[in-house]
Amino acid sequence: MSYKIPMGPYHPGLEEPYKLDMICEGETVRDAELHIGFNFRNIEHLAETRNYFQVIALMERVCGICSFIHTLTLCQAMEQLTGLQPPPRARYIRVIMAELERLHSHVLWAGIASKLMGFKTMFMTCFALREKVMDVLQAISGNRVNYSMNRIGGVNRDIEDPHSLLPLVDALEGEMMRTVIPIFTTSSTARSRCAGIGVLTHDKAISCAVVGPTARASGVNQDLRRDAPYAAYSEMQFQVPVEQAGDVRARLFVRALEIIESCRILRQALTAIPPGEVSVGGDKFAFATGTATSRVEAPRGEVMYSVSWKEGSRNPARVHVRTPTYANMPAVRWMVRGARLADTPLIQASIDPCYSCTDR
Amino acid sequence: MTSLETIREKLAITEPWVESRGAYWLNPGPSSVRDVAAVMIALGARFVTITAYELPNGGGFRLEYHWDLTGNLLGFSFVIAGNSIESIYDLTEAADWIEREVHEGFAIHFTGREYEPLLLRPGDKLGVNLKEFSASAAEAPSQKEVAQ
Repeated sequence: MSYKIPMGPYHPGLEEPYKLDMICEGETVRDAELHIGFNFRNIEHLAETRNYFQVIALMERVCGICSFIHTLTLCQAMEQLTGLQPPPRARYIRVIMAELERLHSHVLWAGIASKLMGFKTMFMTCFALREKVMDVLQAISGNRVNYSMNRIGGVNRDIEDPHSLLPLVDALEGEMMRTVIPIFTTSSTARSRCAGIGVLTHDKAISCAVVGPTARASGVNQDLRRDAPYAAYSEMQFQVPVEQAGDVRARLFVRALEIIESCRILRQALTAIPPGEVSVGGDKFAFATGTATSRVEAPRGEVMYSVSWKEGSRNPARVHVRTPTYANMPAVRWMVRGARLADTPLIQASIDPCYSCTDR
Repeated sequence: MTSLETIREKLAITEPWVESRGAYWLNPGPSSVRDVAAVMIALGARFVTITAYELPNGGGFRLEYHWDLTGNLLGFSFVIAGNSIESIYDLTEAADWIEREVHEGFAIHFTGREYEPLLLRPGDKLGVNLKEFSASAAEAPSQKEVAQ
């Protein structure tokens, strides 16, 4: 006999507004239905009521983790509509901020995953590390969550002494290599909770069109930083980690390896950052009529903005946002099929879902 | 680029691709949204999203379908005079949520599929124009003048 177990929108195993209705037989999940929209904010239509300064501040609030990525994607689209090219130094600062945000996001995820595994010591270790990343973000931007760094034509703040941040990157990477990554990849606790569960096959990853680490953990070799480089990524040397197993452990491995690659990119960008201005264009902007699209590889995967403008208007005519979780979350249904009920909180967390992005 | 030409050939489109502001665009001409989807899937393209625009003066809608092919963002624009278009959900399940969202946000009906449950908002109304709904629910906030 099958029965339905609702998890969410208020549930200790799922601490965000989202609902997973699981059809179970005994302790085994046979199917699941996903429900979102509990905190829907209609930000896309709100954006149409904001001018070109206000819309940046609004879109920074789509997500609390990758707030920089959202304004970067939006500003890149608006730069195409205004014909402005950010100067080289601004493009490097964008890479630095984006990679710090990736570190922040991946370490935060590692902490949440540890908690769901029942590995509280690791949770505390990860959150202590996250604090260090946020300290760097605060040192650069003055803020810890919404950084207000991006503007049309560049960035709002310079990094005055980039080389002074290199020891912080070394310390972060050292701690990752000494503690977090070895424990995640070798401990029996992590292995027993993650290996072979929540499998998303390569074929299903393709048909669901998942993105980011969720796709790369199922053998889909895609990363916009390499495939469609933006900012200064074409000048960076890095690897794109890909795993084949498609289980929770593979997603963990991919993020762990991406942390190392992010440190590598940060070191290159901080060392090679060119001198010069950090923005162009002043405070007045003339938009051309038309649509511009921009894509960025966020920590969770591809973010796409489609921005339309009418010449002479201060407000966008339309802003459409496709967030990575919006692409990844439907795949959770396939991941939990056949899983033990007790594993489902960790499985759904393994895509690093962002409900704020999803309910934009 | 060879793949882009293959798409044109398979859809029998004579107009060239146009690169514009972050994407390559191809006018689908008489090809249906399902024709395009079938070709894109056969070539291994990844569905990205649908962007819906409401045309002025009740002129219908424009739906832009975005696909990724080896890092290139490809766009196909379809103008619909009424409020319905064929669903591609059965061809690519990745289109499920965005079709439901466009249905709820713009009252566009994707034929050949079912919608329940409602994706974005609790309630029992399908096909609500969310833009009009939100505009009637609350006045847009006043905004500061842009510095001149």
